[in-house]
Amino acid sequence: MRFVYCGAEKSGSKIINQTKPRSMKIYVCIKQVPDVYAPLQIKDGQLIQDADRNVLNAYDASALEEALVLTEQHGGEVEVVLVGPEKAKETIRKGLAMGADKGTHILTEGDELYDSHVYAKILAAFFKDKEYDFISCGKQSQDSDAGLTGSMLAEHLGLPYATNAVGLTHENGSLIVKRQGDAGQEMIELPSPGLVTCSNDMNDPRIPSLKGIMQSKRKPVETISISDLGLDDVAPKTKILGFEEKPTREAGKKYEGEPEEIAREVAQLLDTAENLI
Amino acid sequence: MSTLLTYISVNNGKIKRSSLEVLSHCNKLAAENGHSSAALVIDANASSYTDELKKYGPSEIYLIEDPIFKNHINTPLLKALSRAVDEIEPVVLAFASTEGSKDVLGALAANKDAASLPDMSEFQLTGNGVKGKRPVMAAKIISSVEAETFPVFLSVRSGSYDVIEQESSPEIKTIDFLFSDDDLKLTLKEIISASSDKIDLSEAEVVIAAGRGVKDEEGRNLISELASVLNAGVGASRALTEAGDYDPSLQIGQTGKVVSPQLYIGVAISGAIQHVAGMTNSKVIVAINKDPDAPIFDIADYGIVGDLYKVLPPFIDELKKLKQN
Repeated sequence: MRFVYCGAEKSGSKIINQTKPRSMKIYVCIKQVPDVYAPLQIKDGQLIQDADRNVLNAYDASALEEALVLTEQHGGEVEVVLVGPEKAKETIRKGLAMGADKGTHILTEGDELYDSHVYAKILAAFFKDKEYDFISCGKQSQDSDAGLTGSMLAEHLGLPYATNAVGLTHENGSLIVKRQGDAGQEMIELPSPGLVTCSNDMNDPRIPSLKGIMQSKRKPVETISISDLGLDDVAPKTKILGFEEKPTREAGKKYEGEPEEIAREVAQLLDTAENLI
Repeated sequence: MSTLLTYISVNNGKIKRSSLEVLSHCNKLAAENGHSSAALVIDANASSYTDELKKYGPSEIYLIEDPIFKNHINTPLLKALSRAVDEIEPVVLAFASTEGSKDVLGALAANKDAASLPDMSEFQLTGNGVKGKRPVMAAKIISSVEAETFPVFLSVRSGSYDVIEQESSPEIKTIDFLFSDDDLKLTLKEIISASSDKIDLSEAEVVIAAGRGVKDEEGRNLISELASVLNAGVGASRALTEAGDYDPSLQIGQTGKVVSPQLYIGVAISGAIQHVAGMTNSKVIVAINKDPDAPIFDIADYGIVGDLYKVLPPFIDELKKLKQN
């Protein structure tokens, strides 16, 4: 046995880094999506939108925020991965400006035909030979609200997963996921490696600081193609046939005046006109 | 003959109405297309639901029963669903859209290499697949979608179809299922539930939704009093669930619960699109808001412009009188 004397020990300071575990690696899958709040119109069954109003999917932003908080608390690295066209690079930059360490851009052409099945296959091919503790993504995209890709990816990779997380903590190498279920919140211990999909209810994603934006320009972004992943022939299983406006509800009658009177009047109408009471 | 299989969701020992809506629609499609419509129950007490299910016309009822299904955990549920799909080989497997089904739909579709159509508001069979509609862009737009190959795994938004009673004498088949704890992979440590005697919001015939203007205990008391008079489920906007005034499972909207009651009463709800996405299928909408320009009034059948603290007491009083008569 060898004794090693350490000055730091004598002075009473803690020795750190002696048994430091491999630092945590979290991949966050992000997507560029149309801003659902931007004006949109439908022409010949197609959705027409201002291409300048594309944003980082809000649910992915929450996933990224949570990954950044976890690595700030416990150490580690966050990498963002995006599947999308050239234009979507700005969304990777946004992720880096928020604080991700690096990014991978899986460059696509013609991805308007992609469904969740295709996204999951592409991401699965990307992650096949990667090492990580956790993969995190938004629980759905805010444009299609499908919510399939996360659990599809977990299945392809054979990972345990939890969806609809509203809270995450890291304990002994596992994630403790607070998941919003049908009747309450389920606390799930998700071991590493695992996958989690995040709700936007768990945090308010940070707005990149000027410093963050400057730093993002120097952070590495690797661009790879679908062919690099050996996936030239992956076809969607579902397709969109067209879009239509949701039939609008007619505004009914607005009652203004003495609260006592209008309250009673509406209550009576719910009984007499609607037969609901 | 092919099978359309409806997964029956249960909650607190009761079959969820939304799965009976899906089953009713599958019965109709099966009759029109010469298929059979079967129901699948995966639960710790699966066999206890067969008598109730017979009233809704399935031609077969499949049961997978194991204590592991007492609470929702995705690993055993996926394994059971996978087992059922192998056994029954349905062309369509239909779920009611719930947090439970959302948790497994994608993984199951990936596992079986099936097409998947989530959160449909309507669907029909084509010769070789499924066509239908689903809301997108925060439910502002309806998208027509198609899966051109069977099998198709899909989920249906609550309130999309009526429940139709139709007595049948289904064959009841139990599917063997073995699950060892080693297969769990993850651990359910605890469930923090909202009180279980409350009315299930997603199934309620009457829903009261509280918005940001409900700012104190007096306001919350008025909401519960109104709910108790109308035997209503209580929901809330994101502002109130985030503030901790209401349980997060009560959030109505794009990221929360979708409700489709006969009567929806929004109290101090402004009508932000995320909230509207979760309640726009309500049959009659009543809005109470002191801001005459609140967007909720654009979709409300009855809009009461006024302060909830002044409007609700006479409103509740009048409803009580009407109930008594």
